[in-house]
Amino acid sequence: MEAESEAATMATEKTPPCELDREEVERIRAKLVDASRMAALGGLMASIVHEINTPIGSILSNNEVMLRSLNAIEQKIAASPDADSPGLQKALSIIEMMRGLASVDKIACERISSVVRGLKTFSRADDGQPRETDLHEQISDTLKLVSCQYRQRIRVETDFGDLPPVECYPQLLNQVFLNVLVNAGQAIEGEGVVTVRTRREGEMVRVSISDTGHGIPPDRMAKIFQTGFTTKPVGVGTGLGLSISRQIIDKHRGRIEVESAEGAGTTFHILVPVRQQPPDRGAAGEGEPT
Amino acid sequence: MTPTVFLVDDEEMVLTSIRAFLSLETDYRVATFADPEQAVDRLRTERADVIISDYLMPKMNGIQLLARAKELQPETPRVLLTGHADKQSAIQAINEVALFQYLEKPWDNAQLLLVIQAAIERANLYRDLRDKINELAMANSNLREIQTRLLKAFF
Repeated sequence: MEAESEAATMATEKTPPCELDREEVERIRAKLVDASRMAALGGLMASIVHEINTPIGSILSNNEVMLRSLNAIEQKIAASPDADSPGLQKALSIIEMMRGLASVDKIACERISSVVRGLKTFSRADDGQPRETDLHEQISDTLKLVSCQYRQRIRVETDFGDLPPVECYPQLLNQVFLNVLVNAGQAIEGEGVVTVRTRREGEMVRVSISDTGHGIPPDRMAKIFQTGFTTKPVGVGTGLGLSISRQIIDKHRGRIEVESAEGAGTTFHILVPVRQQPPDRGAAGEGEPT
Repeated sequence: MTPTVFLVDDEEMVLTSIRAFLSLETDYRVATFADPEQAVDRLRTERADVIISDYLMPKMNGIQLLARAKELQPETPRVLLTGHADKQSAIQAINEVALFQYLEKPWDNAQLLLVIQAAIERANLYRDLRDKINELAMANSNLREIQTRLLKAFF
């Protein structure tokens, strides 16, 4: 009887760890799916960047050759004895128009090029080790990407402090900046301002991203970092952005904090250490990039 | 002697653009190749003052091509012009083929021209140095011969 009772006790005691294991397996599986998705996305972006950079290089080069050629033709016409004739005057006005169009083409290409440079930062493969990074460069690249979404509606203000190179996983931090900046833009209805402020605080750096949007109601504040929690319509939000962001910041041994006033706006504070400590022996493997 | 630029890229548009730019700005002779194997064949018979190659190409990548160029014409400076810029390929290129410059697409024409001019200058200096060394070796050999003859005459 005593043995039966002991077996029954063991059976009931075994159930919770088994459930926990299943949860753990599910969590790791989800993490792996996420990691492979990110790797595939990184590879795809690298290919897109390559495919775009080649024709952009050609167009920009041709544009310059075209402008120089127009200048050369203009000089020849100006030096001609018939320069004042109506035909050549008309040719000069066409050259002027073409020069204007070529200038517009150049600006358009440089804009594409600048967005692609931003994408390139995201496509860089993570070599598994944190590396010294200029956070301002990373934030500026991310801002170039979101500026396509903000367009004329949202003004971006930056207040960059004096930051040292920060040891981090730059492409992961970019993902956090992107998530928070996209959320900031979506929180603003109509026109508004997004401000990015950076400061060094001892051995930490603080990146604060503020918006003048509708703010977060107090009853939702506790849930915003939960996986799957979203207030956005279907197809806009997945409820994963801030949850993943917190995981990334945890991995950097940092903090992500939020303060918000309903109707006045929200500020996310991202704090990361300037240096990453070597991982604990017991936690080996947990520090691998996701 | 007019300097010769070898340009290798599987994208015809890149070849056309750079050739047009160089023909407007310089008097260099520009030999373009969409097929890296053809570039290797030409390097066997014709001297290049600089070779500029794309990285991602069918048949042979840019580093493999520049490695072949290094074997065939070691004094010709090698430039990699790539839209697929990553740290690994840059390090590999610098270590394996003693790269002269690593440029990224989209390229800046002014920067490209400066790199080409510097490369040609280096190639000329390298060849001048080689000629001077040969001349010195020849002079040295003549002196030895004279010395031998003098020794024979007096002793």
